[in-house]
Amino acid sequence: MNRLHGEYKQPGGKLVVVDLLVIDGRLCQVQLSGDFFLAPDEALGWLTDALEAQPADLALESLAALLAAAAADAELLGVSPHGIATAVCRAIAAGAPDA
Amino acid sequence: MHDAERWRQWPWQVIHDTPRPPLLQMALDEALLAAVAAGRRPALLRLWEWSAPAVVIGRFQSLRNEVDAAAAARHGITVVRRITGGGAMFIEPGNTITYSLIAPDRLVRGMSAGESYAFLDAWVLAALAALGVVAWYQPINDITSAAGKIGGAAQTRRAGAVLHHVTMAYDIDAARMLEVLRIGREKLSDKGTASAARRVDPLRRQTGLTRGQVMAQLAAGFVGTTDATPATLGPADLAAAEALVASKFATPEWLATLP
Repeated sequence: MNRLHGEYKQPGGKLVVVDLLVIDGRLCQVQLSGDFFLAPDEALGWLTDALEAQPADLALESLAALLAAAAADAELLGVSPHGIATAVCRAIAAGAPDA
Repeated sequence: MHDAERWRQWPWQVIHDTPRPPLLQMALDEALLAAVAAGRRPALLRLWEWSAPAVVIGRFQSLRNEVDAAAAARHGITVVRRITGGGAMFIEPGNTITYSLIAPDRLVRGMSAGESYAFLDAWVLAALAALGVVAWYQPINDITSAAGKIGGAAQTRRAGAVLHHVTMAYDIDAARMLEVLRIGREKLSDKGTASAARRVDPLRRQTGLTRGQVMAQLAAGFVGTTDATPATLGPADLAAAEALVASKFATPEWLATLP
């Protein structure tokens, strides 16, 4: 199964990269990466866990809300929940049959 | 508090370090951050010397997305992961100027993260201006000039201390850099240029000075700001860093924590 890849660069911010699989309509094996800044380091896991097993047809705003909740105790610099959700949606769109 | 008073809250050391290999450089930043956080060392500026070429990727970057491992191996370039976020750096010993500031985080108390980046490098911009280089901060963490990017900064904090390190291009082998680093189009999307190589304009071209002369000017600028006294690393610093190389930085788990 092909891993799907999406990127988004927030204007004036940093790049966020998402690699994931969609299996049975759900996100799995999600990896978030990029040249952004996060504190604490564990926040990357919080964000990744928030995406794992979510339906692949979830709206961007719903994904962003999940990510914002997961990052409530984190400091994000150069990246936002909305930006990460955008990269996720781009990855999913790249894997859509009609893409 | 005025900026000048912030810098003079405590005594500083300036350490023009001897050449170190890439893994030890990563570990020294963490070991010295811990030492300053614990009060075992005063605040310091460490000016780095590299003993070997390297690609340094950020804490949250994907190894394979950033680096062509085969190209790096072919050219004898060590790939390491640092403890701060931010982007990949291509390091060649004679082409690179790198330094670390490590201090109690009271130095930047009350500032936003973005403000703290610009504040911590204000002395560098002044030193560059004295060399005729008009440079400024491009948020979040770039030092840039009209002719192109000069360098980038990254920060992290531990237990009441802040690490702020910067790598600037003294010169650059852009062709080699593009062979080893993967720099995607999305990353350049808001930079107004399609060429990563053309984004960088190194200090050598802008100053006509040797790397040593630029480093000396930076050190003098820092001493002028802080009254820092010269110092060196001791056996305890190096032992702590060597232990971190073995337990962390040299392990595949760390380097490929995001494969």
